[in-house]
Amino acid sequence: MDPIILVLILVSAIIGGILASLGVHLLPVGGAPAAMATATGVATGCVMLMTGSAVTGLFTASAVASFWEFEHANIALVALSGGVGAMLMIGWTMLIANLLYVFGAGIVPVSGRVAVDPITKESQTEYKTPRTDGHGMPNVSYISGMIGGFVGGFGGALIYVTLENYAHFSPATAGIVAIGIFIANAILAAYNIGGTIEGFHDPKFKERIGVGLFAAFVVSLLCGILVVVAVEIFPSLGLGGAL
Amino acid sequence: MEPIVMVFAWTMVVIVLAFIACLFEDLESDEGSQSNPNSQVQLAPEMGYIHRYYNKAISGEGLSYALACTIAGTVAWAMLSTGITPLIAIPFGAGIGSLVHMIRATIPHLGRESAHKRFEQPIYLDVFFGHLVPIATHNFMAVVCITAIAYIQSPSGPLAAITGLPVAANNPFPLPLLCFIWGITVGAIGSSTGDIHYGTERLFQDRPFGEGRRVVYHGQICRYADCGIRTSKDVVAFCAKYGGPATGLTFGLIVLFENWRTLIGMMAGGLTGGSWSPGVAAGVGIVIGLIIAVALTVGNLYLVKWARKKFGPFVGE
Repeated sequence: MDPIILVLILVSAIIGGILASLGVHLLPVGGAPAAMATATGVATGCVMLMTGSAVTGLFTASAVASFWEFEHANIALVALSGGVGAMLMIGWTMLIANLLYVFGAGIVPVSGRVAVDPITKESQTEYKTPRTDGHGMPNVSYISGMIGGFVGGFGGALIYVTLENYAHFSPATAGIVAIGIFIANAILAAYNIGGTIEGFHDPKFKERIGVGLFAAFVVSLLCGILVVVAVEIFPSLGLGGAL
Repeated sequence: MEPIVMVFAWTMVVIVLAFIACLFEDLESDEGSQSNPNSQVQLAPEMGYIHRYYNKAISGEGLSYALACTIAGTVAWAMLSTGITPLIAIPFGAGIGSLVHMIRATIPHLGRESAHKRFEQPIYLDVFFGHLVPIATHNFMAVVCITAIAYIQSPSGPLAAITGLPVAANNPFPLPLLCFIWGITVGAIGSSTGDIHYGTERLFQDRPFGEGRRVVYHGQICRYADCGIRTSKDVVAFCAKYGGPATGLTFGLIVLFENWRTLIGMMAGGLTGGSWSPGVAAGVGIVIGLIIAVALTVGNLYLVKWARKKFGPFVGE
């Protein structure tokens, strides 16, 4: 295969992987404590939430990529479709979760890590239940989550469309490889976060994002090399077999 | 009938199925106490709170449902490829997926409750046997709906059979992969939203309403029902009134707006007449999606503002 194409596949795997890691760091993830309104964020794990939103984006991206039947799909438009799809998934989830906190448990969404919401300038401390780490999704966490969903979905869809267009993988194989690279990066980011994070305003974000992105670069590079080797040595691999 | 009308009609079917799927997914996780709030059921015996909840922590809901749905989708796909009608293949596949789920629900409960022997937590056999069938039936409802959604959207489904459009209306992914995608998504949503009503409210119903559950309360779960001792079946009856439908609504709205914006984009790109322009179709879909995202953010701003005004600052110790 043309070396330029191989480099393109490698670069898209690296960029997609790094964006996936950045997306996970931006999500407000409260894990198990959030299910008891003991911590701010969405009441599930980083990997679960990010993968759920990214595959929703991938679903839309794959449909959009199939618009171009006899030519290469527009990479930017397909990746943007994936990003917007993931953003909507995370947006609806956070909004209805907040509805459950407010109307199901009578709780005001507040941050536990900052005294004032950096975007709306609303004070947080006096609304927080003592001996908790915040609860619900305050506006800054919501906006951070929307950006995180967009960035992660964009990364996943970017890997998918490059593999489908230039490595000539079948949609199913391209989808599985994209999800694989994505989940590897999401798990690494979850280990880096180590528990809960509220979004870009959380002091943890600034502390750990550098290491997280570097680790994502290394893992994505390895994944990219594996894909390039597979494409070069087994050209029929991407045809998808029975799928 | 016009092809575009058929596309919208099948999309409506998908949205209704999505609502039912996620509703039952959340109720199943309440029935067996899976996912995040189960940390409290797990902790309770260590705090001296002997309980009659079902203790099923197989894995995160996303992974658990991805597996159940993928098994169902693979079985259904294999049956469909031999020419069996979808009306038999889809429920049969979902049945196999639910049976595997029931096996996975059995082992964690017995294993975890046995491990709690040191805290004098017994294994109640009536709780064990009484919850297995409801777990399987709730799971079946979720999995059969997800498999049906995946079938409708797959290249072998009814959307692909609609002719007369410049571009195929179906998704290019095969049935098992679509089952995997929707399985992970439905689990992630059920875990993110439905758990709140169970974990924050139902498990701590004897604590003051309107405050986050403090760390000191953890493990001290509410063990008494309206009449007698509470089991996980009482949790389902409670969460079916708000947490379950809200979770179903989340997935239904996601599927609705994802499909709607894509279809509107396709119509703008010439799906119903004129020359087909994939760039315009994709672009319009993206712009509509961004407008919805802005509307959601404004909605959250309003909700937080309303809650702060209505409830006021925290009162109490």
